[in-house]
Amino acid sequence: MAGTGSGPALAPPTQVRALGPWRAAAAQARTTLRILAADRSAVVGMVVIGAFVLVALLAPWIAPYGPFEVAYASDGGVARLSPPSASNPFGTTNQGMDVFSQLVWGTRVALLVGLVSAIGSVIIGTLIGLVAGYFGGWTDDVLMRLTDVAFGIPFLPFAMVVISISRPSLPLIIVLVVFFLWRTTARVIRAQVLSLKERPFVWAARAAGASDFKILFRHVAPNALPLSFLYVAIGVQTAVMLEAGLSFLGFGDPQVQSWGIMLNAAFRAGAMRSAWWWVLPPALALSAFVMAVFMISRAYEEVLNPRLRKA
Amino acid sequence: MAGFRRYLIRRLLLLGFVLWCILTIMFALFQLLPGDPTSMFVDSNFSQEMIERQKQLWGLADPVWLQYLRYLRNMLLFDFGQSFFQNEPVREIMVDKMVNTTLMIVPALIVSVIAGTIVGAVAGWRRGGPFERLTVGTSLFLHSAPSFVVGILALMVFSYQLQWLPPGGMVSLGGPESAWEMLVSRDFWTHLALPCLVLVSREITGPILLLRSSMLEVKGSDFLDILRAKGLPERAIVVHATRNALLPLVTYIAVMTAMLFQGQVLLEIIFSWPGVGRELVQALNDLDYPVAQAALYVMALVTLLLNLVADLLYGVIDPRVTYE
Repeated sequence: MAGTGSGPALAPPTQVRALGPWRAAAAQARTTLRILAADRSAVVGMVVIGAFVLVALLAPWIAPYGPFEVAYASDGGVARLSPPSASNPFGTTNQGMDVFSQLVWGTRVALLVGLVSAIGSVIIGTLIGLVAGYFGGWTDDVLMRLTDVAFGIPFLPFAMVVISISRPSLPLIIVLVVFFLWRTTARVIRAQVLSLKERPFVWAARAAGASDFKILFRHVAPNALPLSFLYVAIGVQTAVMLEAGLSFLGFGDPQVQSWGIMLNAAFRAGAMRSAWWWVLPPALALSAFVMAVFMISRAYEEVLNPRLRKA
Repeated sequence: MAGFRRYLIRRLLLLGFVLWCILTIMFALFQLLPGDPTSMFVDSNFSQEMIERQKQLWGLADPVWLQYLRYLRNMLLFDFGQSFFQNEPVREIMVDKMVNTTLMIVPALIVSVIAGTIVGAVAGWRRGGPFERLTVGTSLFLHSAPSFVVGILALMVFSYQLQWLPPGGMVSLGGPESAWEMLVSRDFWTHLALPCLVLVSREITGPILLLRSSMLEVKGSDFLDILRAKGLPERAIVVHATRNALLPLVTYIAVMTAMLFQGQVLLEIIFSWPGVGRELVQALNDLDYPVAQAALYVMALVTLLLNLVADLLYGVIDPRVTYE
């Protein structure tokens, strides 16, 4: 009787029984994509993100220079702070590096940081939320107090201190962002599980003799999954913003070229006063990326929570 | 009421526990910081003996547990020691910087809450109209834009290109120094205008979106029909409805202040505003650990207290909340 799971609201019962909970979740994902494809702002968001992904994948072919390569002018000298031109479409930095190339390479860092931290934090948060909500009792108490502690820590100040203790690196930043992001997912998933575990299909599974492990991962988890996906989207947005913020403050990884690091260098060099072409590309790319992810996550949230939908 | 007291006690115990955890994490972190504090002062001419004496004087030769207990006591008493670089007790530096940060946050908060409430209430009342669509669209746009990028762009446009407003700092050189003198000086307000505007541009979106959605819920209530039956003009009914829609905003304000306080670091750097966040960045760059430690502690404490206030207000304001 393993196939009795899945929420009653998803599809007619006969079909659900045939599909099994995980396949039902996949069917629901297809429905969700169809709804998102009909939402104009979600489509705009997906197109923008798609473009960024393309740029990141094709970076070696798009970027004329390496991330730290110095561009030389035709007379052989270093092209410092030269305004946009045919050879340097977005101009150069005070060290003579091509801004356009840095921007392209920075796309890779943004996507990497966003995806890895978001997926990592959601996996941790979902597991903690599932276990805490399902088992309750002291397990719940311990895990939720841990979550409370995580909520009490102000991220940026805390991350700055940790980074100055060791040395700035991208993996460390990702670990810190994960440490900051899992807490929200854990709380939300726990609340969801509290309600899910009282549903008839869980009783049925238990009556049929399913183990806790099986109930949790075969019957409860698939129903909490859509919510986890929402937090992946929100996580990508937050993670990219946090990396940019930390890098802007001078705590970024100096080995890589990210949008935040570009902004930091431009800010310190006083480019805001003299070299707009150095400031605007990373500033606008960061905004476009973050806002595009926000548009997608918001449309998705409306799918999950129909009350948010416009009349 | 007994329920509330039990809830309050539980909540305070939790606060104490979380605070203790954070303090312990901080202690461990600062133990791991590179370099030995004595190396800051001691030059190569000092003999090993003199260094040891100095360490003893500062209690650095004591066992770790004793240092830990002393650290806990000092933090709880706000006794942060002496700054390595600014010849001043850290506590005084912190008070100064807190005042400066508050001077930036509070005006932004007041404007955001008042203007946001009005705009949000009107938008919710005129559901489906062009005003609502415009407000919601603009709010979502501003809400999702990274605020430090907005700060950088605002600085570029208004300070450097148009030169309407000063590019940073709290006052011009030789301007007023004490908080009270600043508050009555024009110079201070022109310096505050831009960072404050950037803060408002994002913070206002919270109250707008919140008020709009809670207005949508209140709008269908029966008591509004009774007021209408009494013959009250529509304007007065909107005010009544808004008062009921305000409930969720109260707790939101406390949470919003806590978030503002954390996100403040970036804007303080961009606008050279001498607040707690900027002090932390500088202290970390200068390896001025007593200051860095105190700044981190103050920021964590403010976050915790404001979250507590938010939770408690929730019950005090809405009598329908029960504590079971």
